[in-house]
Amino acid sequence: MSQQPDLDPRHTAQPWLDRRGFLRTVAGGTAAIAAVSLLPAGCARDYPQAKSAGIELNSLTDKEFAIVRAAAEALLGNAPASADRVAAGIDRELALAGDPMRTDFKTVLGLLEHLTILGGHVRRFTALGIEDRLAYLRGWSRSRFKLRRAAFQAVKSFVFYFAYIQPETRPLTGFAGPWPERLKIAATPVDFGPIA
Amino acid sequence: MIIQGTHRGGDITDRADVVIVGTGAGGGTLGVYLAERGWNVVMLEKGGFFRAEDFTQREDDAMSEFNGRRGLDSTTDNALFLNYAEAVGGSTVHYWGDSFRTPHDRLERWRTQSGIDWMTPDALNPHWDVIEKELGIHIAGPELFNENNRLVKQGCEALGIHGEAAPTARVNCIACGWTQFGCAYNRKSSQLITTIPRISKTGGRIYSDARVERIIIENGRARGVEGVLLDRATDQPKGRIRVDADFVVLAGGALGTAELLLRNVDDATVGRRFYLNPHFFVWADFGRRIDNQTGIPCAYVVHEFREVKHDAAGNYQGGGYIMLCNHQSPGIFATMLSDTGVAHTERMKKYHQLGSVMSVIDEEHPGRVFLDGKGIRRTEFRVQGIDVLKAVDYLKNASRIFLAAGAQEVWIPDVYGTVVRNENDVQTKITARSVAPNAQFAAGSHLLGTAPIGSDPNDSFAKPTGEAHRIQNLYVADGAALPGSVSVDPSLTIMGVARHIAAGLDERSGRAGA
Repeated sequence: MSQQPDLDPRHTAQPWLDRRGFLRTVAGGTAAIAAVSLLPAGCARDYPQAKSAGIELNSLTDKEFAIVRAAAEALLGNAPASADRVAAGIDRELALAGDPMRTDFKTVLGLLEHLTILGGHVRRFTALGIEDRLAYLRGWSRSRFKLRRAAFQAVKSFVFYFAYIQPETRPLTGFAGPWPERLKIAATPVDFGPIA
Repeated sequence: MIIQGTHRGGDITDRADVVIVGTGAGGGTLGVYLAERGWNVVMLEKGGFFRAEDFTQREDDAMSEFNGRRGLDSTTDNALFLNYAEAVGGSTVHYWGDSFRTPHDRLERWRTQSGIDWMTPDALNPHWDVIEKELGIHIAGPELFNENNRLVKQGCEALGIHGEAAPTARVNCIACGWTQFGCAYNRKSSQLITTIPRISKTGGRIYSDARVERIIIENGRARGVEGVLLDRATDQPKGRIRVDADFVVLAGGALGTAELLLRNVDDATVGRRFYLNPHFFVWADFGRRIDNQTGIPCAYVVHEFREVKHDAAGNYQGGGYIMLCNHQSPGIFATMLSDTGVAHTERMKKYHQLGSVMSVIDEEHPGRVFLDGKGIRRTEFRVQGIDVLKAVDYLKNASRIFLAAGAQEVWIPDVYGTVVRNENDVQTKITARSVAPNAQFAAGSHLLGTAPIGSDPNDSFAKPTGEAHRIQNLYVADGAALPGSVSVDPSLTIMGVARHIAAGLDERSGRAGA
């Protein structure tokens, strides 16, 4: 069998999608997008979470913060982590990370909020109860549309990462914490020469 | 001299015999070879300069300070997380230190298929001899084995599967475990603490926080580079830098080198192939606390399955990967699980009783690197064809090893919640659906092949000497230069190839022995 890479476009075509393709695939078709547009989009007063928590946002809008927070609230279960703090951490990180991560993640949030009709709901994601949000996210995780799975992995990864980097979770995991926080051990000296 | 761009204001100009873009396994190795032979060397590094006291071992600090794109980079479809470092020392700052010589069959493939006549053990062994001595590379002893390493070894021995202690680049290691967040004790032999200080002492200048944007090319010949000095806190430019040089060497890693070339030259061979050795992760619950946090992450490597086996008709029968013992910090581990809600929390409670391995799939279907419509670097990669079969075979054999070692259950961290408790589960529950895009967290950290060397100018960016086919005095000497997957951790391959390219450059330039 050949060990050469297979560069035949007939074999490699399709998995790469442009943004239009991304949106179409996640939505499950233009008909679904049209249906989604009938859902109430929500306005600023529907997304008071950041202001209520006194959080100054750096990259997310009030609406996007509320969506992340709602996802975190559902995903975290009984983990010792605050949904507000997780969402605020994601907001700060996206401000520093810039594109393409920021734009991609914002796109995912918009879809998450407004494609609930595909899961049989007539309310937006943030307006669902926690159990319905969780069921909706689980549905995306196993969707036959691979980019809905991609969206789930993105949201899930951000939320859990920003939850479990917090020292408050260490008693739950049994992680003792980094050595420099607990032990004083000298580093082997290194002479770098002049440093300016 | 180390010059930190983040601390400088205004513009800088410099002049050198050679300017090297990137300070990792390739750049550091090539740089010290030339610097200690009398070359006036300048190195430019996009990332920051960190010392042992800067490495807190906190995953969030490491990700945001020196992982590429703050640890958030992935393929365009989000199916594979891309793990690479941007700091003085390059990816050796966060690598695990596993240091394998290139397998002979791979050298032979590159010699015959890519036309690189010096890809032989005879040509490279002398370089590896020197590098191994300088970096203190040695076979990991029992003091570096944590319980996970011992359990994987035990499982392999029970099943008659071939594995070995890993050759590792460290000196007097205290086995704290968290080498991937930068060595806080200067015991891992990264380029940061080995070649970079030596280059500095010869009078070489190493500029950190210096992002190269332009290769200066005049009349088909590289003359230097230009770029910006970055404020580390904001990543915003705060001045410009220009280095004029007789030779330009690109060593910014498979992504950095490809991006710079895509912005500067029109060459269809750049970014056309992108290898990353897909990593899939398996977790094993032993039902009791085990130590998988100290030692080194990978003191033991499973080699049994490195070569692909086919039947007489040419059908895939197994193999095409190695397994590395693995551990991850809590935040990163949490992202790897696909559970949600309380189920996720319950699994996190077992963090301290889990063993783990990860795959290094020797892929046959590469991805690509390109600039999108906005000029942003993007990557595409899909595990497909025979590589899917390899990944599934890996999941099965990894599960068998842990079950033989006494694990109560093995977790395939896919969205289907696959749990394996016996051989029947291995055979019936592990299927290709587990490795479909975004069915589970997967990653790539051996990023290679985006500006390969080779004899065919239509199929490779650079000649076997490392010099570009179409631009004089422009060299590539990092993971981008390799023709394909190494099938093992590529760091020592990159160093050996870079040192060979350096020796040729030194000799051909007429400066040898200066």
